[in-house]
Amino acid sequence: MVENVTATKNTGETRKPLIPVELTEANWRFWSFILLALIAIYLMTEFQVPVVQGLTDPFYSPTILVLPLVAGFRATCYAYRKDYHRHLFNHPNACNIDVRKDFKGRKYTGETRLFRLENYHRYFWYTAVAILPFFYYDLYIAFTYQAGEFTLSLGALLLILNTLWVTIYTFSCHYFRHATGGNIDCYSCPVNKKSVRRGFFNKISAINHHHEMFAWISLASFFLVDLFIRGVAAGLSINPILLNFKW
Amino acid sequence: MTDINLKIYRFNPEEESVGKFVEYKVPYVDGMVVLDAVRYVQEKIDPTLAIRWNCKAAKCGSCSAEINNRPSLMCKTRVDSIGNNISVAPMGAYPNIKDLVTDISANWSILKKIPPFTPKPGMEKPWRIHPADVERSKEFKKCIECFLCQDVCHVIREHNTKYFGPRHMVKAASMDMHPLDVLDRSEFLDNEGGIGFCNITKCCQDVCPEHIHITDNAIIQEKERAADLKYDPIAMIIKRRKSRKEKVVK
Repeated sequence: MVENVTATKNTGETRKPLIPVELTEANWRFWSFILLALIAIYLMTEFQVPVVQGLTDPFYSPTILVLPLVAGFRATCYAYRKDYHRHLFNHPNACNIDVRKDFKGRKYTGETRLFRLENYHRYFWYTAVAILPFFYYDLYIAFTYQAGEFTLSLGALLLILNTLWVTIYTFSCHYFRHATGGNIDCYSCPVNKKSVRRGFFNKISAINHHHEMFAWISLASFFLVDLFIRGVAAGLSINPILLNFKW
Repeated sequence: MTDINLKIYRFNPEEESVGKFVEYKVPYVDGMVVLDAVRYVQEKIDPTLAIRWNCKAAKCGSCSAEINNRPSLMCKTRVDSIGNNISVAPMGAYPNIKDLVTDISANWSILKKIPPFTPKPGMEKPWRIHPADVERSKEFKKCIECFLCQDVCHVIREHNTKYFGPRHMVKAASMDMHPLDVLDRSEFLDNEGGIGFCNITKCCQDVCPEHIHITDNAIIQEKERAADLKYDPIAMIIKRRKSRKEKVVK
């Protein structure tokens, strides 16, 4: 059977352009999204947030270098893939036959050509795991920013929630599910008999079931917590201290 | 509820080239499903209506249709859940033979292309499988081959690609995840089955009457396995070392 696969692998396929048709066709949803993104970038460059109390706008600091990795992780995530294929590219935007904006004759790439890059999701996942400790470091700083004291402020509470959502989102990933035990077919076989991966796989599968929900909650949490921190940095008194005691 | 306004797609290839919806009035009976209403039309109003049905228990997968534009089983869709204006059309992804009957034979030729179940050589019968290992491939065995997932899939329905379709991904996954099977079909599915054309929109999962997690448990798993073999150098090295280790254990 393997011989058949290789025999037919390179036959009958005509070479197609690398750029997917989804990125070039006239589709108002996709192009209005691009326009909004360009407007947002323009506004961020035009209205630069001043440096307050040593806090720099991440757009003008080396933090921006992390953005492509985080964006890559989200863009290649199965949850977001479903959403942008449906709602930006209309392939299709709904399952019911009468309302879907997909039709015969419309060109389609799917996850081939340039979109094959989506198969490298796992490498973005590795970088996401590497970035995760910095969230916990931020939490530590938020609790101990006054020397010798433990302080729980509203901001620290929001940071706890944000860190929690991002952690759950990262570890409910489909790739992580695959790597923990999805790629094993026989847990009772001698090589896997002593492995704890089955239990791990079942637990990851349980949270993976809600991966899309965690994806959107963690993204919204990102934006809102960032907005809150900017507000605090700009001098707004929105960060009441809830608990404070000396070590 | 009052009488049902039932619009049924009628098409007779011997008399016309394009089909049309014909409206019928059907008396509502408590607890009736769409198949009851369609059969009422066939028995009492127009016996020339062609429908395909068998068990009326959502287990044979014969009465697939598009009810109010959503691919569903006629025997599993209760009339009181969708109101009294109902349209019933044949599955649009397949050539229409007559009225609500479609030609689904293309599926049988695709099934023949998928490498069959290949057990480990030299195993003593009866085969013993640990319950823990049965769970995953068992989910896929629930498939009743109604082909609603194929019908709702936009890749099959609207785009002319080499993609086999969700049903066939489930079939391949059921064998790939079988603990006694030795083949890995993921690369075959990527090269020949066009799994790359699936864009994870999960409509197949939404319409499955057996609630199989087609995308999450079959297609994504196969995509990840194909990524192990084709896109991930680290996984390739681990896999090679592991297969060497397995040989030693055997």
